[in-house]
Amino acid sequence: MRALLQSAFILHRRPYRNTSVLLEVFSQERGRLGLVARGAAAPKSRLKGLLQPFAPLLLSWSGVGELAALIAAEEAGLPIALPPNRVLAGLYVNELLVRLLPRLDPLPGLFAAYEVLLAELVTVPGEEPPLRRFEKRLLEELGYGLTLDCEAISGMPIVAEEHYRYVLDRGPLAVHRTELGVPISGQGLLALRDGILVDPTVLSEVKRLTRAALAVQLHGRALKTRELYRSGRR
Amino acid sequence: MTALRCLPGVGPKSAQRMTLHLLERDRNGAQRLVEALQTALDRIGHCRRCRDLSETDLCALCANPRRDRSLLCVIETPADVLAVEQSTGFQGLYFVLMGHLSPLDGIGPAELGLEALETRLDEGEIREIILATNPTVEGEATAYYIAELAHERGIRATRIAHGVPLGGELESVDGGTLAHAFAGRRDWRG
Repeated sequence: MRALLQSAFILHRRPYRNTSVLLEVFSQERGRLGLVARGAAAPKSRLKGLLQPFAPLLLSWSGVGELAALIAAEEAGLPIALPPNRVLAGLYVNELLVRLLPRLDPLPGLFAAYEVLLAELVTVPGEEPPLRRFEKRLLEELGYGLTLDCEAISGMPIVAEEHYRYVLDRGPLAVHRTELGVPISGQGLLALRDGILVDPTVLSEVKRLTRAALAVQLHGRALKTRELYRSGRR
Repeated sequence: MTALRCLPGVGPKSAQRMTLHLLERDRNGAQRLVEALQTALDRIGHCRRCRDLSETDLCALCANPRRDRSLLCVIETPADVLAVEQSTGFQGLYFVLMGHLSPLDGIGPAELGLEALETRLDEGEIREIILATNPTVEGEATAYYIAELAHERGIRATRIAHGVPLGGELESVDGGTLAHAFAGRRDWRG
């Protein structure tokens, strides 16, 4: 398998042997894959500054199986410099992708959403709305999209003023039907559907919902990046 | 021979050469090596103040009364401490993290001894904390995290500058570095 100049982002890098680096890469056309960059950690390597998370890259690699070898790397456009207070959000999303994306499964739609997310993390004042929109998209792409437009049993459209409980394997249920699931207002469901997340109460409701939905996908294992969000700061 | 290969840059061939050299020509040297390694392993631990490698409970830097106790430089590795010591004339004290925050590898605040750092900040001696972690994404996240700890206590936090290396040429510098260099430009009086 040989791939030339593929649009890609680095999700994670860890040192390997003496001067090499193992890269976890999210590429537009081939999805997530592992690459070994030989010599990239050598003192004079030109790749060292280049192979960083959040930088849009064009990568070429060759090899078969799980781990291919990086042949060349160049910048694809301007580097995205996440402001220091957004780096954590970026690392959080990268952790989600590393943990949830199957290898070598092309998800060009999600790749585009990732590009949008990074751009928004640089420009948008709050980090939560872009993160929630991306989480929703991620769930859809994984095949576990949330039902956000109608009540699961009656099939009636969601009413903004009503209250629901979201049961993960069924969808939103009218609040009198169940004791289970994540409580959420109709307004919250619709806001997440439209991606327009402004109201702080809605944001915290939606956060509970996406977090619960992602927890199922993560099989209950905690995300390490969440520990870094110090209590009281958000 | 296989034992020597645990050293960086030593492949099977070099390991063979080193072993034969020690056994055939320099048995005394081999003995000294054994003793030095053994003493180092037995005696070198971490300084209780700065976590740097040290033979004593309190390392020479932390024990030195002439160092400026109001300046604390937070740095990733002992090798970085040596680099700063040898070339900058920095007179403050250090705190060595022994790594950087790397959530995907399971390295969080606890692994970096940040609780010890917090205790140290609480002692009130420190007026400025210099964030000298590497200019990588993880280093940046680490610096941000520690800056928050400092700000919560009203301590000034500064970050080392990053940009074009001395004697470098703009053309050959990678885009990220150049962008940083431009973002971090300073007023200039000729």
